[in-house]
Amino acid sequence: MLPENITAIVSRNERWCGEAASEPYEAGWAREAIFFVRALKQPVGPPAKAWVEISPDGMHWLREGTEFELPGERDGLAAARLTRFGNWLRIAARFENGAECTVLVTLHLKA
Amino acid sequence: MKSQESLQPDSLTEAMRLALLRADPALSRFDPLPRILSFDNFARGHCGWSQLVGNYEDDLDTMLPGYAQHTSAMLSTLGHWDAGSHGGMDSSYALKIATRPVAGARNVAIKRHTFRKRGPIRFEMYFTFKPEATELRLSETDVRSIGFLFDLQGGDGDASGDRVMPHLRFLNALDGQHLQKWQYKPETERIIPIGTDNKTISHYHLAPEGWLDLPGGAQRLCYNEIPTKVNWTYLCFDFDLESMTALGLRCNDRSFDLSGFESIRIPAMKNLWCMLNFCLFAETDVAKRAFLYVDSICISGDF
Repeated sequence: MLPENITAIVSRNERWCGEAASEPYEAGWAREAIFFVRALKQPVGPPAKAWVEISPDGMHWLREGTEFELPGERDGLAAARLTRFGNWLRIAARFENGAECTVLVTLHLKA
Repeated sequence: MKSQESLQPDSLTEAMRLALLRADPALSRFDPLPRILSFDNFARGHCGWSQLVGNYEDDLDTMLPGYAQHTSAMLSTLGHWDAGSHGGMDSSYALKIATRPVAGARNVAIKRHTFRKRGPIRFEMYFTFKPEATELRLSETDVRSIGFLFDLQGGDGDASGDRVMPHLRFLNALDGQHLQKWQYKPETERIIPIGTDNKTISHYHLAPEGWLDLPGGAQRLCYNEIPTKVNWTYLCFDFDLESMTALGLRCNDRSFDLSGFESIRIPAMKNLWCMLNFCLFAETDVAKRAFLYVDSICISGDF
C-alpha cells in the first residue's frame, strides 16, 4: 500500500491581523509536514512574522522553532518544512498595528 | 448468460453471505446490504471524507459564511491531556470533525459518490462526540449537535429528478439546555445566485433554523463522566433511492419511526445527476470546539 499523504486546508480566506493562528490539526501519523501560506489579497502593511507551534494536547501551545515571514504580495507564498512535531500542529503570526493578510493555509502531510 | 432473476440471492447464498460477514472481524459489527459501496476504517486514511467547501465564483468572498467556516477533517487518536490517546475500536485512529471555538460554529465532512441503481442504501457508522476538554467540568451540554445528511439527485433520464437531501441530527443541547433528541430538517434556506455568470448558486441547508423534532426521537446516549472519556455508538440509516424516502433509523438499541420524516426537496440541478453524497457534521453550543469522531463507516446498497 502506498504511504498516506493528505492535503488539508486549515484556514481559507481568513483575514489575519493582530495575533492570529490556524485551527489546530492532528498529524501524529505523518513523518513530514509542510505549511504553505498564500496571500489571497494584497497584504496591508509590513509582512507579519509567523512561526510553527506544537502542543501536547491541542490546547496549550509553544513554538516549535521554525519561523518565517508571511507573503508581502498578493498570491505570494511562504512555506515551513517540518519533520519532528508529535501530533498537534498550527501556525501563528503577529501583525503590526494596521497590518493584515488574507490567508490560505495549506498543510501537506506525508507518512 | 443467466437471467437477472436467476442471479437473485436465495436463502443459501444469503446465509453464506451473512456467515462470511460475521466471521470477518472488520465487518462483523455492521449489517450491510448485499453490496458494500465503501468501508471506511480510518487507520487507512481519510477514505474520501473531505472538507465540504461552499460554492464560489471569481472570488472566495462570494462563499456563504456558513460554508466559509469549514475546515478539513483529520485523523485522530483521540489524544487527551489527562489520559493520552483513547484510540478507536480496533485501530488507533478515527476521523475527527472539529468546529471552531465559537458558539454555533459548525463543520462538515463529505464523501462524494454517484449511484448505479435507484434502490435501498444503508449508512452505518460508529461515532462519538465530545467538546474540547478546556475545563475540568462534565461539559455535557457544550456540544450542540452531531448529525448527517445525504445529498441526492435522480438520473438524467428519470421522470422525477428532484434533488433530495435527508438531514438528521442528534440535538444534544441548545442554549445550555440538555435536550438529547433526534431532529430532521424538511426545508433549506433561500437559494442564492453566486457570481455573475448565472451558472452557480448556493444555499446553506445546515443553517440552524427549521429543525423539527423527530416524533418519538428522544434518546439518551452514553456520554460518560468526564470530557475525556468516550464510548462508541452505533448508527444505521436506511434510505430508498427509488422512492427517495427514508426507511429507518437505528441508534444503538433504539429504532425510530420515520413515518413523519421529510427530506429537503428542491428542483433538480443541471450538473448533479445520480449524485450520492454523504455528509457528517458537528455543531458547538458554546465558545469551545466540538468534536465528532467516527471510528468506521460502512455504506451498502441492494443492487
